[in-house]
Amino acid sequence: MKLEYLYPELGNLFGDGANMRYLRKCIPEAEYIETPLNHEPAFAGDGDVRFVYCGPMTERGQRMALPALRTYAKAMEERIEEGCCFLFTGNSLELVGKSIRTADDTLTGLGIFDLEARQDLNKRYNGFFLGKWDGLEITAFNSRFSHCHPGPGTEGFANVVRGIGLEEGCPFEGVRRKNFLGTYLLGPLLVLNPLLTQKLLETLGAERKEPVFFQEAMEAYTQRKAEFSNRRKKLD
Amino acid sequence: MNGLRFSLALAAGKCAQFAMRLLGKKATYLPGKLALRICPDFLSRIGKPDLLIGVTGTNGKTTVSNMLCDLLIGFGEDPVSNRLGSNIDAGAASALLEAAGLSGRCRRKVGVLEMDERSAARIFPAVKPNYLVITNLFRDSMRRNAHPEYIASLLDRYIPSETRLILNADDPISSNVAKLNSRVYFGIDPLPFEPPVRENLVVDARLCPICGEPIQYDFRRYNHIGRAHCESCGWVSPRGDYQLISADREAGLMTVLENDVWHDYRMPADAIYNLYNAVAAVAALRTIGYTPEQIAEGMEKLQVVQSRFWQEEIGNWELTEIMAKGLNAVACSRNFDYVANAEGKKAVVLLLDDVFDEKSSSENIAWLYDADFEFLAEEDTVQVLAVGARCLDTRLRLLIAGVPEDRITVVRQAKDAAAAVDLTQCGKVFVLYEVYRQKQAVMVRNAIAERMRKA
Repeated sequence: MKLEYLYPELGNLFGDGANMRYLRKCIPEAEYIETPLNHEPAFAGDGDVRFVYCGPMTERGQRMALPALRTYAKAMEERIEEGCCFLFTGNSLELVGKSIRTADDTLTGLGIFDLEARQDLNKRYNGFFLGKWDGLEITAFNSRFSHCHPGPGTEGFANVVRGIGLEEGCPFEGVRRKNFLGTYLLGPLLVLNPLLTQKLLETLGAERKEPVFFQEAMEAYTQRKAEFSNRRKKLD
Repeated sequence: MNGLRFSLALAAGKCAQFAMRLLGKKATYLPGKLALRICPDFLSRIGKPDLLIGVTGTNGKTTVSNMLCDLLIGFGEDPVSNRLGSNIDAGAASALLEAAGLSGRCRRKVGVLEMDERSAARIFPAVKPNYLVITNLFRDSMRRNAHPEYIASLLDRYIPSETRLILNADDPISSNVAKLNSRVYFGIDPLPFEPPVRENLVVDARLCPICGEPIQYDFRRYNHIGRAHCESCGWVSPRGDYQLISADREAGLMTVLENDVWHDYRMPADAIYNLYNAVAAVAALRTIGYTPEQIAEGMEKLQVVQSRFWQEEIGNWELTEIMAKGLNAVACSRNFDYVANAEGKKAVVLLLDDVFDEKSSSENIAWLYDADFEFLAEEDTVQVLAVGARCLDTRLRLLIAGVPEDRITVVRQAKDAAAAVDLTQCGKVFVLYEVYRQKQAVMVRNAIAERMRKA
């Protein structure tokens, strides 16, 4: 099994690299690949890639990643249909949408999902997020300059319990298709959500059934979930 | 109408300053805030000194501002400054308000203003410093600062074109801001006493600031501080116009090369980040026109306030307290590196939780995964105490960093931290604290010191 970290030099702004470091500890039997910008992603040519991660990047980083990834958009769609796991966090989610509208221009996305992103560098949204997905409670954080408008029929990742979804008023956060998860949530998402990681290990067929430091991760997760559920705690 | 608003703001601000001083307050924020509320373009209208130096950047700006102020005072100047107060627009307004006469004209010739980098849009265009020192740009609170490239873009946009820049040659991010502005650089050569470079989790400048291709580091001091080049477009880190080429710790002297001539200056402190601060101050003063002899004489008398560092030997132990800046992964990593480099067995007390989030929200702990907790996994760090509301998150971070479980102690409340330190295992104890936890840190430090004295 191979795990691929796509563009690590771009997609590691908010402790996001920890997702792959954690996964490496959880799946020591896997081969770990880092694909830098302007190199062919392993998922495009190697059927043994089972998981692809891409993290949040600077606005300039998005402009660099998009043309680099465009050549492989079709391969990505095919791999999604085959059930390969993808996790795109933070604003890397926007890459797989239709467009990113900035103050100056509109970038054309990969078009895999029906999402239109709007970026406003004068307005940053910060806040924690509590949501539900497939029987799991998801705890994480948002910190972003942009929001996405989903087209009709878009399947979200998690239903919002507290915090915001893809845009203000949207009842769900992120997008999902088969094993592709795209989400604005950022940071060490897999560390913060041991049950989500457990599910991922199961999907990937990893030897370990539980993430490493599962008990400690669960204790931290349980505390955070209680804080996020506490209405007296402000989102930011 | 605008003139009337300004006059009203000036009068109200002055009255507020006077009244607050009578009450024993510092009056370094509210009077400026009030003036800005009455007259939003107060900062543009208030008189400025003939010579105004701004200091900004992620780390070191307070120290550099203080050094510049002290040196200028030593040169017989009476600089207006915000050293006692806020570094955002209200702080700058309060400082300029104090220096202004009743007409609004500035009564002082020189000024040094520390300027919050995130507040660039509100401060720079209005204040228009003649010179601006940028110490460095690192990732900081993601909530406020997003990422360093974003802060660099703000500086690019709002630094006035006439401002002369004094930039860190060893920082590929900040050395490239406002490319059309006139500039000088300061830098530091690799020094023989520097400890071996540890691998950092975060290196924010991996791509060429000009063409976007990967850059190669010829020398990396920590994170993205070092010298780099781009094989694709030929970009190289600039050489410092004021380049610290050697530092003699025993003699307490640093040598700065300038136009092929070297000058010796007294080192205010020998930690590498303090050397960056010192050479930045030298570069600024030389650029303004002070002679090397004047600066050298001034630095002989310079005392760097060590409010962020405290150390004492008590019995068989050495107890150290250092401000580490929570939410700021690079500042914490520098301190973890310092702890790791200390010889002998040590215990580390971590008081890094954000005070404000603890009260009203739930801290975004993503930054813990940018900070190099891995440095605390080395053999001779025999105990790490994760203290505070986020102790469970910190414990998990330490485990992932490779710190063995039996070396981690979880302490929910700071008041219990001192008693949890195992003094039988270590010769050194470090208390690392977030800025707003200084009182707690002092409490913990005093309690540990008490235990050491009684042992």
